[in-house]
Amino acid sequence: MKKILVSFSVAMVLVFSLLAAGVMAADDTAKVRVVHASPDAPAVDVYVNGDLTLEEVPFKADSGYLEVPAGTHDVEVFASGTEYAAGEGVLQADLTVEAGKAYTVAAANLLESIEFVVAEDSMEVTEGKTKVRVGHLSPDAPAVDVGVIGGDALFSGAEFSGITDYAELDAGTYDLEIRLPDGTQVLPLEGTELAANTVYSVFAVNTVDSLEVIALVDYEAASSPDGMPTTGLGTPDQSQSMWLLIGGALVLIGASTLVWRKRFQQ
Amino acid sequence: MFGENVFNNKLLALSTVFVLAGCQQPIDEVSVRSENIGFAQDEPITVNIQPSAPKENPINGIKRTGIQPSSLKIPAIDVEAQVQHLGVTESGEMAVPNNIEDVSWFSPGYKPGQNGRAVIAGHVDGVDGPAIFWNLSKLELGDELLVENKDRTLIFKVHTMESVPLDLADVSDVFSYTSSPELVLITCSGTYNFDQGTREERLIVYASLVEK
Repeated sequence: MKKILVSFSVAMVLVFSLLAAGVMAADDTAKVRVVHASPDAPAVDVYVNGDLTLEEVPFKADSGYLEVPAGTHDVEVFASGTEYAAGEGVLQADLTVEAGKAYTVAAANLLESIEFVVAEDSMEVTEGKTKVRVGHLSPDAPAVDVGVIGGDALFSGAEFSGITDYAELDAGTYDLEIRLPDGTQVLPLEGTELAANTVYSVFAVNTVDSLEVIALVDYEAASSPDGMPTTGLGTPDQSQSMWLLIGGALVLIGASTLVWRKRFQQ
Repeated sequence: MFGENVFNNKLLALSTVFVLAGCQQPIDEVSVRSENIGFAQDEPITVNIQPSAPKENPINGIKRTGIQPSSLKIPAIDVEAQVQHLGVTESGEMAVPNNIEDVSWFSPGYKPGQNGRAVIAGHVDGVDGPAIFWNLSKLELGDELLVENKDRTLIFKVHTMESVPLDLADVSDVFSYTSSPELVLITCSGTYNFDQGTREERLIVYASLVEK
């Protein structure tokens, strides 16, 4: 099994300038993930508002989520290495993203009619459950169902270039298949493990004669506290104990002991 | 976590001390160090992304598994600490160790090595002086953070540091999901606020996993 390690050069300038400002509020930014799903297109460079943001993205690779400011962005795709010129890319769109939401932006279809497929991604799942959706990104494949082998369809009549709604299921292992509506199996996905508290996207890609799937994790749930930790036990004056000792050693020691003991009893 | 009574007592005691000491204003080292803190990687970074490798079922094995951390090492500032596994305090804050040598991992959150931000907190000072994260503000871009248990060592590289006023800190973002493994270290910074019983800012260090 050959592991293909893809090198992405991610210009995080946009992201980090937000961080540096000290306010990285999620209510100012959206998450955007780019997927290369055009089977005959070369590796691509992605420019956001004229800035090189993703470099040499090959077919079937994804960028992971990038934080971008909410608003409308000029997203343009070039064959990798092509010099940037506004409006000259193989693909261009003004993409509007809302704060606090997450999106998948796929470059889909054959190169001659390459197009963006955009879907909003779920960042929540009922505790203990799993969520999954499928995307039909195989340009020449017919409409398909995805379901349990010998059982019900979870997703019916998925057509290029649709991305279904999520189905929330019990976590567990499923013997799935992609099949034609008449039941003919197109691609087996036996022993699919869908973990609890996890949201998946499964995209069928490539042309129908070499159909395959790429799977992405959209979200994994975990707890977060209501407040930041209180991470200092000292108070400023007490680091100057030399000076304080001269004036009020007894009082200080008495107070410290009291405070120290009380804090640790809590 | 600080009772009001404790504070009143303490203020009273301190006032007395100041009177005795001639109202000399002491220098607060942590506060001084908190000034002009912050950096962020401003050059393109390279991340390796592995597209679904062909295997029997491409949906399986795409989740990264994290570790239950037992120790944190930061060679750049000579820190070696035991990691406690803690949740929240009664008031819902992230809990912290009740000693100044250990650090705490927010165990209901993401695990180190799993996708998402695993968060570890430690004290900046104790009653008598420096605590485990006293020198956290001296970290620089690219410094390594080692999180270990008996089976695995994970290496994270610092990419961003900021000191954020408490009222502007976006807690849900600091503890949020990311589609790669991150480690976040938190300690106190800024000036001490006697009314709130804590420092007014939090020093937050963000690091990303170095993939083998």
